[in-house]
Amino acid sequence: MNERLKQLYKTQILTNAEDQTYFKELTEATHILEAYNPMCGDKYTLYLKMVGEKIAEASFKGYGCAISRASTSVLIKNILGKSLQELQAIIEQFMEVINEESEKSPESITADEELLAFAGTREYPERKKCASLSWDELKVNYPSELSAGNSEDLELS
Amino acid sequence: MFDPIAIKSQFPIFKKKTPNGVDLIYLDNAATTQKPQQVIDAITDYYSGYNANVGRGTYWPATKATGAFEATRTKVKDFINANSLKEVIFTSGTTDGINKVVNAYLMPQLKPGDEVIVTEMEHHGNFVPWQQACIKQGASLKMIPLTETGDLDYGAYDDLLNENTQLVAISAISNALGVKNNLEYLTNKAHAVGAKVMVDAAQLVTHEKIDVQAIGCDFLCFSAHKLFGPTGVGVLFGKEELLSEMPPLSFGGGMVKRVTLEGTSFADLPAKHEAGTSNISGVIGLGAAIDFVNSIGIEAIHTHTRALTDYAIEKFSHIEEITIFGNPKDRTSLVSLAVEKAHPHDVSAFLGERGIAIRAGHHCAQPLMDYLQVSGTCRISFGIYNTKEDVDRVVEALIEVRDFFA
Repeated sequence: MNERLKQLYKTQILTNAEDQTYFKELTEATHILEAYNPMCGDKYTLYLKMVGEKIAEASFKGYGCAISRASTSVLIKNILGKSLQELQAIIEQFMEVINEESEKSPESITADEELLAFAGTREYPERKKCASLSWDELKVNYPSELSAGNSEDLELS
Repeated sequence: MFDPIAIKSQFPIFKKKTPNGVDLIYLDNAATTQKPQQVIDAITDYYSGYNANVGRGTYWPATKATGAFEATRTKVKDFINANSLKEVIFTSGTTDGINKVVNAYLMPQLKPGDEVIVTEMEHHGNFVPWQQACIKQGASLKMIPLTETGDLDYGAYDDLLNENTQLVAISAISNALGVKNNLEYLTNKAHAVGAKVMVDAAQLVTHEKIDVQAIGCDFLCFSAHKLFGPTGVGVLFGKEELLSEMPPLSFGGGMVKRVTLEGTSFADLPAKHEAGTSNISGVIGLGAAIDFVNSIGIEAIHTHTRALTDYAIEKFSHIEEITIFGNPKDRTSLVSLAVEKAHPHDVSAFLGERGIAIRAGHHCAQPLMDYLQVSGTCRISFGIYNTKEDVDRVVEALIEVRDFFA
């Protein structure tokens, strides 16, 4: 087995893919999103509970490969307690980490090893969608889905 | 004597190494097959040696191009045992052929209350077109369910058939399970209630002799690229009386007799259904692919890929953590499986690193995945250039994957 791929999985991804901490439904969710990749069938439901401007609670359920499952778990972990504004910055940072066209080295973007583990997908463009599946969903749908009250402003920005 | 190594040497791609510096073990033949040198040469020879449009010019090289183009029609006719050259229509592929049957044959006559039957194992290509036609016309789409083994439930099929059944569309071989369907039985039963039958032979064409007269089907489609030929070209077989009655599959140049401001009379078969300039190099490449297959013998290919399938199933069944999907009476050419705790895409990525090309996912058969209650499978599909050693390499890799994800 290839060393690069082994590293990519072994360091963080396998651990996070098996992590059950956030793998559950959230009955009191205020926002429910669905991240779905029709090409492979991977599907996650993201549960968010907004209290004021902050994500007070979050979790997910669903099915997919180790990379998509781990990235969803890491996503949830990273957005807990964050405001919508912070959320946007976190998503952009992650997207930069996995972007093979970025001029920045992954290490210069973040020191967080859990996020850095996904930089391995820079070498595997066919797995990039696995890493970004749930992040994409949140990025695309959070302006209208999450910001009741001032959605128009956010959509324009 | 059938020698897969000698055959493999005719495929230039296998002289290359993967980016990791290993040999390519290509086991995604159900998606597309690799191309032998003689097919590549036939296409290059046309473009570099006698490129011209067909059916029109009276000069060289148009005469030579037309000759090579029409020679393929004869090869196809013999290859599938059609009655006449009029029954062989060139398309852009299986999906194109199916859509043409839907639009030109079925749609004009489909009405509310009519029924179309497909199977639960269909590829989206032989499912969505019928589904959409039924939705549009207010007809019903019926599905032949599968039994626990993955075989079609033939009893349920008998019950589905009635005088409202207009057409039955079936895959000859499931692209996701490898189940071979009993085409003669399905066709005979459909004809007994006056329904027409369309066979999706995309997976069958490279593994077994197709005899449209023995099957008795009304339409049959396949693609060249699954038969060692180029992409973007395929064949629609249709019974002559049906192709004659049908309105043209599309309109344009080359398919007319006389055009006036008031109207147009259409050309005779097969030109009537081939509007515009065809994929000439593709058709010539298909001709070379049929020559290639004939030089080996389709029966020898069938024996080889079936033996590999049996060998693989035997080997895989010794690994406890591997689930093989389906246990049909008649399985050919491919195996669909899952490795416990490992997602299909993770499995295929690991194998890919070792130069082993397999397919993971839903194989464009989502209704079947719903039936299997999985989001996808790992599919290993065989071709003439594969060997038992290839299977052994897969087994080693799968054991490694199992241990990794355990």
